[in-house]
Amino acid sequence: MTAKTSAKTIPPWLPRQTLLAKSFHWINLISLFLMLTSGLQIYNANPVFGGRAGWQIPPVFALGGWLAGGRHWHFAAMWLFSLNLLWYGLYVLISRRWRHRFVGTNDLKALQRSRNPQRRIYAWHRIAYTIIVPILLLAILTGIGMYKPAQFPWIVDMFGSWQALRIVHFSSVPIVVLFAIAHSWLGLKAGGSRLLESMFW
Amino acid sequence: MGLIRVPQSQFNRRQFLQVSGLSSLSFLLGGCGGPLFEDIVGKVSEPLNQRVETLLFQPRKLVPEFPLEAIEPEALIVNSFRGNPVIDQRAFRLIIDGEVNHPLSLSMADIQQLPLTSMVIRHVCVEGWAAIVRWGGVRLQELVALAQPKPEVKYVYFQSADGYYGSWDLPSALHPQTLMAYQKNGEPLPIENGAPLRLASPVKLGYKQSKWVTRITLMSQLGHVKGYWEDQGYEWFAGL
Repeated sequence: MTAKTSAKTIPPWLPRQTLLAKSFHWINLISLFLMLTSGLQIYNANPVFGGRAGWQIPPVFALGGWLAGGRHWHFAAMWLFSLNLLWYGLYVLISRRWRHRFVGTNDLKALQRSRNPQRRIYAWHRIAYTIIVPILLLAILTGIGMYKPAQFPWIVDMFGSWQALRIVHFSSVPIVVLFAIAHSWLGLKAGGSRLLESMFW
Repeated sequence: MGLIRVPQSQFNRRQFLQVSGLSSLSFLLGGCGGPLFEDIVGKVSEPLNQRVETLLFQPRKLVPEFPLEAIEPEALIVNSFRGNPVIDQRAFRLIIDGEVNHPLSLSMADIQQLPLTSMVIRHVCVEGWAAIVRWGGVRLQELVALAQPKPEVKYVYFQSADGYYGSWDLPSALHPQTLMAYQKNGEPLPIENGAPLRLASPVKLGYKQSKWVTRITLMSQLGHVKGYWEDQGYEWFAGL
């Protein structure tokens, strides 16, 4: 029922995405899935919390079969993930989408003043997908710090210690999972299944 | 109003297909299919990663060291592949051979007469943990120089008393902080850490840092047998 009413209220221009936006979305989704699951495989070799005796991730969520396989997947997906994010950055910059794509003062004002629930959902949604960009960049930065600590020792120093670096890198896992849930839910609330599907097909 | 309210199912066909698609994908990748794909993924991406790693690696640039207070004596976990070998330190010989003009057979006394280099570095394990350790020993580049390698030499093979084996690229082996160590945290190297002689370096992952090294062979070609872990699928370059 909700899907029907919201479909009516969406202006016909809303659920149309460019092919570039769709492909970014797809590659991001797939590469993040590979990064997360292979990362959990690596995590299990020496859990960030508790070392060898630490709590293990059930193998069903861990990609790669064993540590070497998890690392192969992680470092292969790394290229897909980071190059995809790079070209998205260029796309947003060149197409000047950065000016109205992300959260702005109008959204913050809407959250404080607007009584229109749809407008508030819209503002929350923009906050969610604006915040995830620096978090993904932070995940890449901490990842480089762990992958190449001899070449980029300043990254490790920036976070204080090796363990702090691991915690920050690992924290991207629950954050991305929560984001995926919030993003889909808010997207559905903001534009119904038509908006949701427009990001894929 | 009924007493029992049956919630309306919000799970339609499309969502079911999406969820089942994702879960079967994770089953395929994470469960039974993993070992099958990981090999292909590794073979496809490793050459690219290695090229970037080699490009990033600066053979002369020193990795920043730590002050003595930073040493974490408890953090260095012992990872052995077959337990500790029994070595008579007085009878011990380090062989350096291969494509060299001057093959060597050195006793520990010979090695300890060479200049002692000490460094406090972060030892990083492939498992994700790291420990700051002070290693003391002789620079591998000094041993290699004594053996006078032929110009075509590109790789260094290491053989250990416990049967472990590994190979390095020459530039990483000649890095000024790559040591054949016989001291750990200012004390003689313990048996479980590789006594009498082990590799220690801030530029390679822990599994490249062979313990109980007995033979160093300089080669121009990398054979099919690259290393104990590498032959099972671990990355060969493993640079930090």
